[in-house]
Amino acid sequence: MSDGMTHEAASEALEALALDALDASEREGVMAHVAGCAECQRELAALESVASEIALAAPPLPMAPAQRDRIKARLVARAAADRADAEQAFADVRAKASPDVTPLRTSRRGMGAANWMAMAAGLVAIMGVGGYMRASREQTALRTSLQEAQAERGAGLAAMDSLRTTLEDRDRMIANLTGAQVAVMTLASPSPTPSTGRMFWDQAHDAWTLVAHRVPMPKSGRTYQLWLMTPTAKINAGTFMPKPNGEVMMRATMAMPTDSLAAVAVTEEPMGGSPQPTTAPMMVARL
Amino acid sequence: MNPTPAPRPYPESGRAIPEGRETALAGGGAGAEDVALVRAMADGDERALGALYDRWNAVVHGVVARVLRGPDDVEEVVEETFWQAWRQASRFDPARGAVQTWLLTIARSRALDRVRALRRRRETPLEGDDGEVVVQQIAPGDPGVDAESSERGRIVAAALAELPAEQREALELGYYGGLSQSEIAERTGQPLGTVKTRMRLAMQKLRSRLQVLRSEGGGAP
Repeated sequence: MSDGMTHEAASEALEALALDALDASEREGVMAHVAGCAECQRELAALESVASEIALAAPPLPMAPAQRDRIKARLVARAAADRADAEQAFADVRAKASPDVTPLRTSRRGMGAANWMAMAAGLVAIMGVGGYMRASREQTALRTSLQEAQAERGAGLAAMDSLRTTLEDRDRMIANLTGAQVAVMTLASPSPTPSTGRMFWDQAHDAWTLVAHRVPMPKSGRTYQLWLMTPTAKINAGTFMPKPNGEVMMRATMAMPTDSLAAVAVTEEPMGGSPQPTTAPMMVARL
Repeated sequence: MNPTPAPRPYPESGRAIPEGRETALAGGGAGAEDVALVRAMADGDERALGALYDRWNAVVHGVVARVLRGPDDVEEVVEETFWQAWRQASRFDPARGAVQTWLLTIARSRALDRVRALRRRRETPLEGDDGEVVVQQIAPGDPGVDAESSERGRIVAAALAELPAEQREALELGYYGGLSQSEIAERTGQPLGTVKTRMRLAMQKLRSRLQVLRSEGGGAP
């Protein structure tokens, strides 16, 4: 879900959307919801199928013979010209990449441009004019689809931006966990708390990701605070609360010289955090 | 429903209709012939376009004339409909519906583009259009329209005819008139909420009636 429109409101507008009768302002919100809702996508597809059949009820209306034949003659001529263009393009591709001009050779360093051309010619020959035409049509169709998608800017872009942001965020997180310069520290908790955790320090990006399990909820009015400790200072890295199931995923950004970190610790503090730790660590990793 | 015919050449081309391309949605016989024509168009055979035009020009013309509500631009829009079908033949997927439905969707879309462009130019809503909505029945024995597609048209027309008049009006002003719900409210003098409810009910009833009528009449699935 990436917008302010509720599922209920969006689902009530799907019939009008299928008929292309939604007002532009409402359409954007509904489309943004549908982009992220599988149930609405299925329902919309079913309704669009119903809408597409309405035209079947329109009675056929024979045209005057002269008009009917005129249109047909123009269409067939346009299509023949279109096919001729495709055949010419097909011939051009084959001629440019004729194997007797650019003999196919293999090289330890890989295929040269000429060889790629020869290979392309081979592919084109296998496809034939029809296949080439279909491929070029599909390319045109894809371009058209792209233009249509671009035309759906409002909702589509909003939904895409949201997905892209999520994806980029996930990519960043994965990089922060698995990069070449990521140091991993295991946090242990003094008994009796069963919490465990790991700190991933992505030194290339100054990114800190704490992943912890079985972390109990702090007492009322209290929160957890993460500390990065050097021999001379305890640096506040932010506060966090566990999820109801005890899982923690906390991220912070902070530059620190590689050799100055002595320990990572988590303490329980008053809500809002403290300038310095006021309790014993409930989890700690010492280097 | 017609029985599935043996492969046969389509008009003027001599090309055999490929076997095994029938799908449930293509509806067997006539549907398979349409699908074969569209596949031949995707391969660049302009004679297939001519044959498809022969089969469907009156039906496409019917929808275009219904949307445009006058002779202006009808010829161009009919031609553009079949031209778009030619250009996009490789995108046609029989699993998503019959060729007829695909063609009519293109026809309606191109005709509505024309209506909306005209409306923007005039900056007045649907000049000379009184908003009257009439559900017409398919005429029996129309040339060029096979029994199967007539049957499907009859089922949809019957389902539309069963809708309360005010719901059918809201649906058809949106579908054929290209009007948004606000524009329909303005046109009919009804509150926007009423128009939304009518349109929604109309689509729900149409959907349900189509399911019932098809199961009773054995029409296209």
